[in-house]
Amino acid sequence: MNAGERLTDANFPAHPEKATLEGKNKFLGFWLFLGGETVLFATLFGTYLGLRNMHLDGPSGEELFSLPLVFLATMLLLTSSLTSVYAVLSLKQNKVRSLQGWFIVTLLLGLGFLGLEIYEFIHYVHEGHTFTSSAFGSAFYTLVGFHGGHVLFGILWISTLLARNWNRGITLANAPKYYLFALYWHFVDVVWVFIFTVVYLMGKVG
Amino acid sequence: MATHESHKKRSGLMDWLTTVDHKKIGILYLLAGGFFFLIGGLEAILMRIQLMEPDSKIFTGELYNQLLTMHGTTMIFLAAMPIIFGFMNAILPLQIGARDVAFPFVNAVGFWLFFFGGLLLNLSWFLGGAPEAGWTAYAPLSTVAEDTGVDFYVLGLQIAGAGTLAGGINFLVTVINMRAPGMTFMRMPLFTWASFVTSGLILFAFPALTVGIFLLMFERIFDANFFNADMGGNVLIWEHIFWIFGHPEVYILILPAFGIISEIVSTFSSKRLFGYSAMVFATVLIGFLGFMVWVHHMFTVGLGPVANSIFAVATMAIAIPTGVKIFNWIFTMWGGQIRFTTAMLFAVGFIPTFVMGGVTGVMLSVPAADYQYHDSYFVVAHFHYVIVGGLILGLFAGLYYWYPRMFNRVLNETLGKWNFWLFFIGFHLTFFPQHWLGLMGMPRRVYTYMSGQDLDGANFVSTIGAILMGAGTIVLLINIVISASSKYATTKDPWDGRTLEWAMPVPTPEYNFAQTPLVRGLDALYVEKTAGNGEMTPAEPVGEIHMPNGSILPFILSFGLFIAGFGFIYANWTVVIVGLGVVLVTMFLRSVIDDHGYHIHKEEVEADIKGGRA
Amino acid sequence: MADHHKTTEPTVHRHEEIQRKLALKEERKHHNVSFVMMILLTIVAFFAIWSDKISDSFAVIFILTLAVVQVFFQLYIWMHLSHKGHDFPIWGMASGVLVAAITVASLMGMIWTS
Repeated sequence: MNAGERLTDANFPAHPEKATLEGKNKFLGFWLFLGGETVLFATLFGTYLGLRNMHLDGPSGEELFSLPLVFLATMLLLTSSLTSVYAVLSLKQNKVRSLQGWFIVTLLLGLGFLGLEIYEFIHYVHEGHTFTSSAFGSAFYTLVGFHGGHVLFGILWISTLLARNWNRGITLANAPKYYLFALYWHFVDVVWVFIFTVVYLMGKVG
Repeated sequence: MATHESHKKRSGLMDWLTTVDHKKIGILYLLAGGFFFLIGGLEAILMRIQLMEPDSKIFTGELYNQLLTMHGTTMIFLAAMPIIFGFMNAILPLQIGARDVAFPFVNAVGFWLFFFGGLLLNLSWFLGGAPEAGWTAYAPLSTVAEDTGVDFYVLGLQIAGAGTLAGGINFLVTVINMRAPGMTFMRMPLFTWASFVTSGLILFAFPALTVGIFLLMFERIFDANFFNADMGGNVLIWEHIFWIFGHPEVYILILPAFGIISEIVSTFSSKRLFGYSAMVFATVLIGFLGFMVWVHHMFTVGLGPVANSIFAVATMAIAIPTGVKIFNWIFTMWGGQIRFTTAMLFAVGFIPTFVMGGVTGVMLSVPAADYQYHDSYFVVAHFHYVIVGGLILGLFAGLYYWYPRMFNRVLNETLGKWNFWLFFIGFHLTFFPQHWLGLMGMPRRVYTYMSGQDLDGANFVSTIGAILMGAGTIVLLINIVISASSKYATTKDPWDGRTLEWAMPVPTPEYNFAQTPLVRGLDALYVEKTAGNGEMTPAEPVGEIHMPNGSILPFILSFGLFIAGFGFIYANWTVVIVGLGVVLVTMFLRSVIDDHGYHIHKEEVEADIKGGRA
Repeated sequence: MADHHKTTEPTVHRHEEIQRKLALKEERKHHNVSFVMMILLTIVAFFAIWSDKISDSFAVIFILTLAVVQVFFQLYIWMHLSHKGHDFPIWGMASGVLVAAITVASLMGMIWTS
């Protein structure tokens, strides 16, 4: 059967994301990629943890971070992770409209998160905490910025994916793509859980 | 669905620029890697010419530093790894009975990223000077260097490294998902196993390098302060990150050579590999331990006796699985009917040479002793014994062994033996005296020495050896040129091979196996030979074969990054935006254009089988 | 590739269909529960720091543990690592986490030596 053909309820496989060899390969390859990403972020975390007290004359994390704002950002991202899992449930039930709806909610929440992060960065720069002000500044913006870049890339990714497949239904060709995006989005949330804990919460206790 | 008719057949240069066929990408890797190998070798010989006499003034100061940096960087990233990837591409899918790799498109992206990254790095020679901070680019030496050399290093390696990471994931998935029926993990040839473990190491080691290079790039281009002590930075961050990547990198390089040697020793001893499962276990264990030992590059940093001792013991532990391998190769030859072809000569030469490199490795793993050896020529001798005496001899062996499969011609054996003896003798002449030089106190990375310190003789011999190695390489080039003008080999299996890559006719059909083979044991082809079949039993009837379409997008995408690289180096943001724009547009096109590949019809496959072409 | 679904008998098919629906319903429940759990964990971590009542050294260990638990929810429930056919993904993530751990440990503990 043609991988680009709209699936019907009658021929819908239990795991549309892994029903073809291509899908299986993408699924596994992406998981392995996430394993590599774990090391990438760990290196950034390590750098940050090594340098987080090196704020020199600039403000320290304890003085800077506003927890309620970050808490709100965390909730946005956590909820977007839930909505993307709902989208995957819709994927498994061949409900394309509901899949699109949940992914759009995910996308909007992601945009909200990004907006908060940009607002936060601008605020910090005004406080004298910049990329070049100290080793702490460089490490902070690099770690959090890499995560923000991942969020931005995810937003571009899901927008393209939704637009391209808007009128197509779920097919064996696009099911793995939706599924991979959801995995990516969860991973981005996982990283954020650690940024929230290690950078912001631990930043408050010095 | 696209049928065969709608599939565009490209020819000539366009075919090579758009190919997603793993066999062609393998050849591209081999050619590009070979080209950089020659450049890196030339740089080595120029350095040896400078060091031939005391107080020599041919390539001094900055220029020498550039030669030194580029020699190391080129050989590791642009020669050794791509040649390994060349063999992995050309051979691994055949060895497991697959029609292709898991991600043919990504495979092409990986090659072109490496190619343009390497090109960018080497263009530094003509654009204000090459990097001069050593291949390790230690901060703050690399952060304070004022010319653009290190920027080329940073951008070139970042682009090439992304390609390597993509390749690593590709081969992991290929091995896990694409094995032919019956090809269980414990029936995979050792080269496939080694490539599998190497790919795993790439997956987990390269992200660290990616971050390290980003930090260095931010430090140089955006004035970040990771390594700047005045602003609270710490140079040890670079050292740790570099070696957390760098030590696994050593095993990324050597494991495939172990795999090649295992194949060759077994084939030319006409015996099954001794202790197959122990070999597999040793390979995996070396891969694991490879991540636990990076601090032995940093013993003299002063991390304290506890840290140094832990990493010393971990380092020594690696000698155990390596020893297992050495003994298994010897036992494989024991009682075998050995044929000393060129490939086998290289493999046999490899064993004692690598053991010598391993022994000096254990010497260096003792922290107290390392304080004496550190940054001396003893270290240079050690790692050239493992990398040249190990890896490069292994790659030469692999080249002679797989040349008939990759290029459909057998290399001349007489010239091959000249190649081996010149290179082998030249190698030991070059690097054995460097042990003495190191023990006598000659520091590495220094462009000259004074006479009257008993360093003259050994340095002179070392240079003569380097010239002999060059001569050996030239013999190889002559051999290749001669073979190019000769006819196709008539036999598909010139070495009486034991593994699946010898089961297809020459030239290898574009779909590899007309029918996916059924694997019935370790050394799959040999099993069939002894069962009297002589060829593989098919696991499926003849049918349509699905093939991926070629694409120019990988080339364009990599070229976009190449342009963006220049933008970053010269801090020209318009160029950066243009380059990254090209990248984003190609990614967009890739995701928007549906490309389900094409099918080769059953009738065509049947015709190929009848005509002896499949 | 997935054609075998067409050939299954209608009664068997219906039975499978019901089972699948039940499984999905169960899955949705798990997803919701883990969402609530993750929210709770985040709030607890937030207040552990915000209230300033817990000693710093204990609070750090406490919130790190909560983060790890939360990540397990993400990986095993939302990203389905608990499902069948995830052996190699688990291997991949576990290896990544191992290398990640030694990387973080070394950059935290081995750069400011006296």
